[in-house]
Amino acid sequence: MELTERELYTVLHGLVLGTLFLLAFGGGLAGLYSLRERYLTPEGLRERTPRLLLGTSVMAVVAWLTVLTGTFIAYPWYRATPPEGTNLEDPAALVDYPRYLLLAQEKTAGWHEFAMEWKEHVAWIAPMLATAVAFAVLYYGIQLARRGDVRNAAIVFFVLAFAAAGVAGLFGAFITKAAPVM
Amino acid sequence: MTAPTDTKPNGPVAAAFAAAGVGSIVLGIFVVLNEVSEDLSRFLRFDDSFGLGSGVGPLSGKVTLAVIAYVVSWAILHAALRGKEVNFRAWFIASLALVGAGFLLTFPPVFRIFAS
Repeated sequence: MELTERELYTVLHGLVLGTLFLLAFGGGLAGLYSLRERYLTPEGLRERTPRLLLGTSVMAVVAWLTVLTGTFIAYPWYRATPPEGTNLEDPAALVDYPRYLLLAQEKTAGWHEFAMEWKEHVAWIAPMLATAVAFAVLYYGIQLARRGDVRNAAIVFFVLAFAAAGVAGLFGAFITKAAPVM
Repeated sequence: MTAPTDTKPNGPVAAAFAAAGVGSIVLGIFVVLNEVSEDLSRFLRFDDSFGLGSGVGPLSGKVTLAVIAYVVSWAILHAALRGKEVNFRAWFIASLALVGAGFLLTFPPVFRIFAS
């Protein structure tokens, strides 16, 4: 029972940061939705706002960390090129080259051509949206409870950030199952 | 416009939302441009040109330029809208349209339409 350095890293990238992202999203969404003057006493608003800022900021930071580490550390392992002369139609020869392993077989090629091609790009939208939401919470603080227009917009961006990260995370898990980075 | 209650003006938040939209659409545009020609794809290989992420390929250029567009547009819009109360609904709809276009252009069946 052991993990290679690369497997350990992919666990950090996908599982640890992904779990933190999910937790921050759940807390942040509930916090944003309920941050209304008619739901909360002034003391409740004051108590809840710092927690909301923490949740949205953590989600933004984790989203940036996830895309940066995924793109600049894990992705080169995924798209590593096999040595010249390797039979690109022989899956057994391509276990260390996930992109080529997926492309070697018709039944797995879609995991690269659709899933990876979408995942590697759409993931980068998540941190920009999450940062905008965290900024709105930072800027308005407790006043956000009186700005329904901004709060609703923040909820929409927050959900879209989650959707973008969700596409990336889900496909990442499937791709890793089909062609793990060893 | 005036703020609905005694809150801060909404300009800086509109700027942050719009910048996210700009970053998203710029990302989508470079995803498409990478498909349009081999020369553009080569240009986007910032790992080769600038040593930015060895082995990342054109993705290095696409995301770097998108993040630069995001940061620069945020700085410009923040300076322009600081202290102002704007029509937030209009700014948000415009931002949402940019984000939507970004999502669409990163979708493989869409960007492959432009493949050379």
